[in-house]
Amino acid sequence: MIREIARKEFRELTRDGRFRLSAGIVGGLLLVASLAGFTAWREQAAQRDAAQNSMQALWFGQPAKNPHSAAHYGLWAFKPQLPLSFIDRGVDPYVGTASWLEAHRQNEFRFRPAMDATAAQRFGDWTAAAVLQHLVPLLIIVLAFGAFAGERERGTLRQLASLGVPTRALMTGKALGVAAALALLLIPVAVVGSALVLNAMGADGLLRLAAMTAVYLAYFGVVLGATLLVSAKARTARAALVVLLAAWAVNGIVAPRLAADVARMAHPTPTAREFTAEVQTALANGIDGHSPASARGKTLEDSLLKAYNVAKVEELPFNFNGFAMQRGEEHGNEVFDHYFDELWSTYAAQDRSQLLGAVASPLIAVRFLSMGIAGTDAAQHRAFATSAENYRRELNKKMNDAIAENAGAGQAFTYQADETLWRSLEPFTYEAPGLGSVWRTHLVSAVVLLLWMGLVAVLTRRSTSLAVV
Amino acid sequence: MATSSPLLSAEGLTKRYGDTLALDALDLSIAPGEVYCLLGANGAGKSTTINCFLDFVRPDGGVAKIGGQVVAQHPLETKKRLAYIPETVMLYGNLSGLENLEYFATLATGARPATEELVAHLITAGLRDDQIRQRVGGYSKGMRQKVGIAIALAKRADVLLLDEPTSGLDPKASNEFHRLLGLLRERGAAVLMATHDLFRAKESGTRIGIMKAGRKVAELRADEIGHADLEKLYLTHMHD
Repeated sequence: MIREIARKEFRELTRDGRFRLSAGIVGGLLLVASLAGFTAWREQAAQRDAAQNSMQALWFGQPAKNPHSAAHYGLWAFKPQLPLSFIDRGVDPYVGTASWLEAHRQNEFRFRPAMDATAAQRFGDWTAAAVLQHLVPLLIIVLAFGAFAGERERGTLRQLASLGVPTRALMTGKALGVAAALALLLIPVAVVGSALVLNAMGADGLLRLAAMTAVYLAYFGVVLGATLLVSAKARTARAALVVLLAAWAVNGIVAPRLAADVARMAHPTPTAREFTAEVQTALANGIDGHSPASARGKTLEDSLLKAYNVAKVEELPFNFNGFAMQRGEEHGNEVFDHYFDELWSTYAAQDRSQLLGAVASPLIAVRFLSMGIAGTDAAQHRAFATSAENYRRELNKKMNDAIAENAGAGQAFTYQADETLWRSLEPFTYEAPGLGSVWRTHLVSAVVLLLWMGLVAVLTRRSTSLAVV
Repeated sequence: MATSSPLLSAEGLTKRYGDTLALDALDLSIAPGEVYCLLGANGAGKSTTINCFLDFVRPDGGVAKIGGQVVAQHPLETKKRLAYIPETVMLYGNLSGLENLEYFATLATGARPATEELVAHLITAGLRDDQIRQRVGGYSKGMRQKVGIAIALAKRADVLLLDEPTSGLDPKASNEFHRLLGLLRERGAAVLMATHDLFRAKESGTRIGIMKAGRKVAELRADEIGHADLEKLYLTHMHD
């Protein structure tokens, strides 16, 4: 019986010109966004590889020079992007994907497309994720808002109800029918997506694609179930549509914006200017604010002279400036760790409080999961930033140690090292965290999405009587 | 026939909408092979009675029974044996007459009947061969009512609830409809029909009830009364 209901619903939908038009538009957009996103990803990946290689060649190719100059010369680290980032670009356009690693400072990421974007572009960046998160739910609403309310209005619901069909069977059948019609549109896109990802990434990519598919299917299930519930309760199709469009706006626009604003107010982040100023002050005066650099230098000098029982720094068995510079780096690292940890924790706290908005908007949870699986969420940005920062510290230590060990007294800035030293630094590599760590990061989001599914399932199962008039 | 146990019965059926009594302790009993015609002005409670048998409306007092089962307690079971034909049988415009029948028959019986069987029902109900596969969007009202009869045939319904099924039909279509009704009656169906058509009530009904303000004010056998007398009786009751 359920199969028959689903079959009829499917047949009616696919014969409806409005379905064909809207599904065609959404499917077309999804396909175009995917293909364009994938092409852009492939180009960027090639550019990134080329840039990283030429960066490495530049580093290795440095002429003989002072190691500290080499540290200032520095190099760029580029964040490799998983193929799935073509579906969901996540926070990347806002936080950037490249960082300059140099002496003395942990730089912020550069090349943030959002910086150059006009206000209008905020709405114009059509990734596949935007279509999946906003347009497909709209399509589901358009397809299913009349499932019950429309039949009630046309009078066919009376005919149906007079047959003695259980409401639950009607609900399930209609859900399956709409789902089958949607599958007509989504399956080709999923096949194209799998082919692209498989081509670019192999089995791990497929696993991620499967996870992403599961997340979006769960999301669509919630939207479809809620749409049918509203349609079953609404007196007229028009009333159902009004309620559903309002819910769509709350889910997609109002609640996420509001949650983001509230999260920002609850956990304010400093402006870039304030942040830089704070870090600069701490570098100069110490984290506690009471140990200026000059005093720290004096203390270091005194303790070294005492430990090695010598009268002046020139008599130390190593180059004092090299040693002191590394100490300066380490102090800087402490400062950076402190302030960047604070910043990252604030962002994480913002994300957590945004999830409170998922009470009104399952999309908030879906967005975190989607970004996580695509490898473009804040946690994976942080993982890359940390890895790049560690590399920067390794670089500086190598350069400073070379000075401390090899430069004669007073020759810290005239001593020259050659390619052997540059080559002793392993090229920068970065392995993105696996899918397991993504689930751990976004456990709450996953639970929230499951709760939404459970809620809709319970409500649909409990609706046993339909008002026919 | 009146001696066999009733298929349809109402016992003290009462329904209130706010302050107005739509049904006031109505008693009805309809046996297999009977066509019971309910007459009465708009708002007399005819549709409410039918809606109570369909469980579309829950009575405030009394019970509606089909085959001895209380409708409100067995809403799904009691519907298995009934067919409902309203003033206009509402169908899915995007599907053909045959597809509509197939859908409703499958949902009613739980198994998809053979196509030839469904076609036979539609032909019996009076549709032409070439109309069967046309989309219902282009059907006339008479053709829709025929699909309604075909649903009743496919369902093998022995209880028919008809709510002004022929109002707005031209005389020929109306005549055809009542011919089919006779066919179902001969097969042993119990029919409850709300109507405004005194002529048809006298012609195809076996019993006639007149309702006013939720009460049954008269009940008589159709063969006991002539056309003119029925009209006179009806008008007498309608005057206050």
